Amino acid sequence: MIDPLQASVQIASSGLEAQSTRLRVVSENLANANSTGRTPGSDPYRRKTTTFTAEMDRAAGVRMVKVKDIGTDQAPFRVDYEPGHPAADSTGYVRLPNVNSLIEMGDMRETNRSFEANLQVIKQVRSMVSMTIDLLRS
Amino acid sequence: MGPVYLFDVASSHERWLSLRQSAISSNVANANTPGYRAQDIEPFNKIIEAKVVPVTVTSPAHITTGSSVEAQGMRKEKSWETVHSGNSVSLEQEMLKAGDINRDYSLNTAIVKSFHRMFMTSMKT
Repeated sequence: MIDPLQASVQIASSGLEAQSTRLRVVSENLANANSTGRTPGSDPYRRKTTTFTAEMDRAAGVRMVKVKDIGTDQAPFRVDYEPGHPAADSTGYVRLPNVNSLIEMGDMRETNRSFEANLQVIKQVRSMVSMTIDLLRS
Repeated sequence: MGPVYLFDVASSHERWLSLRQSAISSNVANANTPGYRAQDIEPFNKIIEAKVVPVTVTSPAHITTGSSVEAQGMRKEKSWETVHSGNSVSLEQEMLKAGDINRDYSLNTAIVKSFHRMFMTSMKT
């Protein structure tokens, strides 16, 4: 087992990495909130989701976090009546992505909060290490 | 005994605090992992009670009491909240614990430093 303080920094950085992947997925969803298909009746953009899993790191003997997979949301698409749209089907309805910007915003805030918490852990470990080093001074 | 014992306790407390910090880091990193249960380590008073005051070994027939802080069991702790996904990490609680650790750590190093200074003073004179 490695030094627990060093392990803490590693765990927190695995958290930072996982949260940034999540933020990337959120921004993909938001950017594609109105991406429809190109041909009549084709599927629009489907919302992506991130799942995390706790993973035992054998070298450090601690539980890190990693992104398990980036899946897709199976919720139904929004439909809008717009006969002139290139992606409209024979009845004149266009299927729009199943992205809800409010949900994405909520997800983004949660990501932000978790990221901040991980940063706080790293900050604290640094201050603890410097306290120990300060013992050698004076 | 005396001051030597104090440094011993201070260093086991330091090791305990580092281990606890690593448990908390794990909790914070897994704050959004479905099904993850928050963890904590055994409280320090349990460890210190287990070793009490070390008895000096003066004969090979004596048995030693207590060991250093190595393997405390990780335990599932009582959490403030459990969300729908089965995750029981409360970030507020973890931050509170992290604050506790920081304070204890600084107290610990301050004590060691001050005793060290006292040693140094007595050496100089």
